[in-house]
Amino acid sequence: MPHVFRLPDIGEGLEEAEIVEWLVRPGDTVVRDQALVEVLTDKASSELPSPVAGVVLTLGGAEGDRLQVGDVLIEIDDGSVGEPAIPEAPTPVVAATTSETATGRTTSGNRPKASPATRKLARERGIDLAATIGTGPGGRITAADLDTSAPTPAPIPASVPDDSTLGQMEPGRHALRGVRGVVARNMAQSWSEIPHIHTFDELDASLLLDFRTRMQGMGREVTPLAVAIVAATGALRRFPLVNACIDGNEILVHERVSLGVAVATEGGLVVPVLEDADQLDVFAATTAVAELAERARAGDLTAADLRGATFTVTNYGSLGGRWATPIIPPGQAAILGLGRIADRPTVVDGAVAARPMLPFVFGADHRLVDGDLLEAFKRSIVDDLTEPLRLLVGS
Amino acid sequence: MVVGEVASPVDLLVIGGGPGGYVAALHAARLGRQVTLVESEALGGTCLNVGCIPSKALIEVADAVAAPGRVAGWGVSATTEVDMAGVREHLMTVVADLTSGVAGLLDRAGVQVVPGTARFSRPNRIAVEHDDDLKHLEFRHAIVATGSRPIELPGLPLDGRRVVGSAELLFATELPDDLVLVGGGYVGVELACAFAKLGSRVTIVELEDRVLPGFGKRIGRAVERGLRNLGVGLCLTHRAVGVTDDGISITGPDGDLVLPADRIAVVAGRRPNSDTVEVTSAGATVDERGLVVVDAQRRATDRVFAIGDLTDGPALAHKATAEAEVAAETACGQPAGFDPTGVPMIVFGDPQVLSVGLDRDEAAAAGLVATTGRFPFAASGRARTLGATEGFVEVVADEAGTVIGVHAVGAHVAELAGEAALAVETAATVEDLAGTIHAHPTMGESIMEAALGLAGRSPHRA
Repeated sequence: MPHVFRLPDIGEGLEEAEIVEWLVRPGDTVVRDQALVEVLTDKASSELPSPVAGVVLTLGGAEGDRLQVGDVLIEIDDGSVGEPAIPEAPTPVVAATTSETATGRTTSGNRPKASPATRKLARERGIDLAATIGTGPGGRITAADLDTSAPTPAPIPASVPDDSTLGQMEPGRHALRGVRGVVARNMAQSWSEIPHIHTFDELDASLLLDFRTRMQGMGREVTPLAVAIVAATGALRRFPLVNACIDGNEILVHERVSLGVAVATEGGLVVPVLEDADQLDVFAATTAVAELAERARAGDLTAADLRGATFTVTNYGSLGGRWATPIIPPGQAAILGLGRIADRPTVVDGAVAARPMLPFVFGADHRLVDGDLLEAFKRSIVDDLTEPLRLLVGS
Repeated sequence: MVVGEVASPVDLLVIGGGPGGYVAALHAARLGRQVTLVESEALGGTCLNVGCIPSKALIEVADAVAAPGRVAGWGVSATTEVDMAGVREHLMTVVADLTSGVAGLLDRAGVQVVPGTARFSRPNRIAVEHDDDLKHLEFRHAIVATGSRPIELPGLPLDGRRVVGSAELLFATELPDDLVLVGGGYVGVELACAFAKLGSRVTIVELEDRVLPGFGKRIGRAVERGLRNLGVGLCLTHRAVGVTDDGISITGPDGDLVLPADRIAVVAGRRPNSDTVEVTSAGATVDERGLVVVDAQRRATDRVFAIGDLTDGPALAHKATAEAEVAAETACGQPAGFDPTGVPMIVFGDPQVLSVGLDRDEAAAAGLVATTGRFPFAASGRARTLGATEGFVEVVADEAGTVIGVHAVGAHVAELAGEAALAVETAATVEDLAGTIHAHPTMGESIMEAALGLAGRSPHRA
């Protein structure tokens, strides 16, 4: 008789998941623990294993559909008779990836689409089809496309690596799903619900860089990002209203201080979470951030790694930017953005001097955070970043 | 090497007269080269002489013999009788017609055909042995197309009578009572279907847990159903270990077993004939599977090309023919490259099988997000009239809607290989297939129906 397998809660606070791909079809025979479906929750994709052995009867949705926790995911005839099968809690995530398959195909690493006649023409003209943009249906390279393509172009030194998939997508319409779909929904929700205010400033990072250099001399790794994270957790403890969010008609002040750290990956922007970041010192935070970023880029994050942030730090300066207006993720009240540290003119003791300046932005939900709180919070972080030793002696 | 051996100069040398070699010779001759072709046996190679062609002829014979059973419910009653000597005669006529056609083509193209067995002695020289005669040829370019030979299994030495290869089985003058086919690949499946229809009791012994392990699971299952309907026994996950007085002993997960067999055919795969031609003496590299390492132009050295079963990829005649053109053009200084999107594969079992391009699992492994549209022949009018509603057509598309695979199992689906390959090779889209008017009622319509399903507007499927 049918075993009804419902979408389990596979991550902290998960409410829904998107069906990325069915790995089985109705009529297929499955064994226990065989992967049934790849689902995307928040920004991690997971394969859900079959809790029973049997024959697949029905699927609970089509690829791209979103299911709520508790919705019927799949029905499997497990051959049992008698009392109705009780949906048992399955072993949760067997494998989780923030794989590119979730966002789908990019042009790089794939075969150029062209007919044999077009390929022959390209060979005759010495044109590299991989470097040719196809304007035909589905991105197919037509013979006419070869007219606008230069013969085997000399490699141009580019700031973006040749194999980068950044910004690549075929002309035409694409389903908004996968990581991109999640990002799109979250951003739209934040942007439409949260009245953002931003404050911009620069601070003299001389001592911050000096701190890093001297710590390196003692064999300890410290990054300015980790210093900013620890500075932010201190400020969040001082001003709990910033470690909060508006939930319906209530203000929810979070008990824990957990920081999301935005990381750019090939699959899109992901924000893995440093749980209880207020328990970390600058050294532990440095290690933890490096590890999270590594796992994010390797696609090894689980759904739980992406849940529970109460505040976010985005180091957009690592991409070269100076100013930005970052959007606050849902469920949070504020975000800190760090620009790129560079020597810039500033006034020191009445004279213009070149100093390593750290531009930064602090954005907040204006429903919760007024200008005075905004500036007080900012001041707290600036003090710690300007003199990181403060973080070592404790405040 | 004979001291003072004298080598005759040749321009472009082709070794092997199968579907790779003879096409390479014809193409190079057309491009203005003086071509010499060395063949040790009959022109046409395995395909024409002992492979694709005679097996298809035999399968047609078997279908004719089995026709009364197929049409019994159609108000037709008939009986058939088969005379294997007459069948053999027929097969030989079909083969002879085609091989003499090849000889005529080569002759008209001015290709000089030299009988004998070729071996490389130097990077630009071969020795050709014919009867007691040995001569040396020094070439500008050589295209090696010596094909492959069936592998033999330990414990099952071929004796040409009771234990045979596929070639001997095809031309058998007596129908075996109990035929055991060792190997459940496409050759085993095709011969099993044919001999079961001719009247033998047939058993397939296959090491893997399914027949046609090179194809998708769903296809394998459909073919297994077909085999069982024909009464073919399947000993899957079993290995043949030896021949007994009146049978064959096999071993599997549940122990040993002896199957009765008055004929045993070893059809467990093929190995490339790179060793017999001593291609390494030409400076070519051979990998651990015996395959010659070549580039996209099929160059093994700066003057030696290798094509067909000697190179990586499916050992199929049409792949060899495609590579032949590439090698010949490259040898003639023309830009060419072997870069197919897919090589179609077909099996003339009952049901037949067609596969070109990626299936869903392969697409996922390649990092593509693929969708599939499947149309069952149970919903096809033509399949109904054929009395063969088993099977389906499946069209696989990537996210942009480009067709990246077409797979089918059912009656006559091998004949759909052309459209399927054209769609995959030209990067046709689902809309291209769905929007092309397909003649009604044909089996080919089902490709359009599968594409319509993928486009979400199949009128014949809910």
